[in-house]
Amino acid sequence: MSAKRLAVHGTLRGMEGRRWRELGFSLGLVALLAWLLNGMGFFEAGRLMQGGVNLVRFAQEMFPPDVRILPTIAGALVETLQMAFAGTLLGFLLSFPLGVLGSRALFPAGVVAVVRFLVAALRTVPSLLWAVLMVIVVGLGPLAGTLALAFYTVGYLAKLYAELFEAIDPEILEAMRGVGAKRRHLIRFVLWPESANAILSQLLFMLEYNVRASTVLGLVGAGGIGFYMQAYLGTMAYSRLTTVLLAVLLLVIGMDALSAWIRRRYLLQP
Amino acid sequence: MTQPLAALRSEETLALSTPAVAVEDLWFAYREGKWILQGVNLQIPAGGFWAIMGPSGAGKTTLMRILAGLLPFPRGQVDLLGHPLQGKPDPALRRMIGYIPQQLGLVRGLTALENVLLGSLARHPGWRTALGFFPRAEIERAIALLELLDLADRADEKVFRLSGGERQRVAIARTLMQDPQLILADEFVSDLDLPRAAQVLAFVHRLARERGLTVILNLHELQLVQEFADHVVILKAGQVVFESPALDLTWPLFREIMEGKR
Repeated sequence: MSAKRLAVHGTLRGMEGRRWRELGFSLGLVALLAWLLNGMGFFEAGRLMQGGVNLVRFAQEMFPPDVRILPTIAGALVETLQMAFAGTLLGFLLSFPLGVLGSRALFPAGVVAVVRFLVAALRTVPSLLWAVLMVIVVGLGPLAGTLALAFYTVGYLAKLYAELFEAIDPEILEAMRGVGAKRRHLIRFVLWPESANAILSQLLFMLEYNVRASTVLGLVGAGGIGFYMQAYLGTMAYSRLTTVLLAVLLLVIGMDALSAWIRRRYLLQP
Repeated sequence: MTQPLAALRSEETLALSTPAVAVEDLWFAYREGKWILQGVNLQIPAGGFWAIMGPSGAGKTTLMRILAGLLPFPRGQVDLLGHPLQGKPDPALRRMIGYIPQQLGLVRGLTALENVLLGSLARHPGWRTALGFFPRAEIERAIALLELLDLADRADEKVFRLSGGERQRVAIARTLMQDPQLILADEFVSDLDLPRAAQVLAFVHRLARERGLTVILNLHELQLVQEFADHVVILKAGQVVFESPALDLTWPLFREIMEGKR
């Protein structure tokens, strides 16, 4: 066999080996999933059957929705939206400078490391736990919810923004330094305009997320529609709960539509 | 492009007797031991229009970045416009060096006018400009430069909407806004077809002559070098292997040098 044919043969053998390894890895993943589900009782037929019966009974009690409570929950819905907007904007105002400070494109490694650690710490805490903490700090009500959403937003947006700024074409930064731009000019004339699309896009994504998240913050007393969810769940007033859930659904759909419109209207089309 | 160029220029040019660029035994490596430049020597007179040629990886861009004061070098001596370059150049020297990188380094999300205005930042480094407020005189000057470059009607257009040729001209306008004495352009016409590139270079050439600017260009096309440059340097593997008046570099000679036969 010639050297060339031997090399081709070796390549084919290598490919076959990779395919077997991939297949083995996939089967391993399926086995792991089955083991995990089994441990959680996923394969207990009796339990699943009972679950189905419970679901049907629950659904029967949920419908038809009790729309008489709409005037009662309207104020809480507005409050939910206010919390989401205020929390997101407050979080954004903090995220942008932290994103700048956390970007190696502009700041030394020491500053970046400290900022990134702080932001990672903020991100570790889920929004509902932030709500509990804020209720302890500032008391019950929408202020606690707004602050909780703001902290949660900072944890995510600051990280995303720092990564965005680091991805900026270094040649642009170099050209700007060449014309004598200071760091403040780089922030204003490079970081901001070069990332404006992605900044707005991620801000809208966060706003959509916060609208959804703000609907459950009331469960821990942090204001908004969650208060009524908890109340109707606790008193087993499921038809009223349905009305609340439908209202939240409409709110989220409305928010997504608004977000899509803003994207179409304002995002730059390169 | 009819406006008198001298009206836009505010500073005296360098005396023609002083070399604009003097490079002596310049060495540079990005990684230890891997020398990109190996003992480069150059003397470029004020008012010269020089081309640097060479294969990819020869060190042309590195040399440009060093001359632009963007890369500190470990060995050698570089004098720019009569000032030694050590570490970061001081703002006064930086102002006199206009650098156009290969991809132009324009901010795509800003308008043509805003990009040109950025060339005045060295004169106005304060917070006022950082907030986007430029002196009226600078705005008028930027508009005049755009008019000079036939871009007045594109002034408010975002750069990402401009054509390749228009972007080149915005980059030139930004550099002129700096009011430099030395322009370093790193293959900045390489994305254009030959006639377009010739058009841009003809304009830069005319400007340089009228204003007494020194221009150093990295170029790939021998045809452009012969047409516009008065002197050419060929770099290979970080060393100057050829230097002559541009018209002396014929195509057969160029090919021999590039193929390593000379």
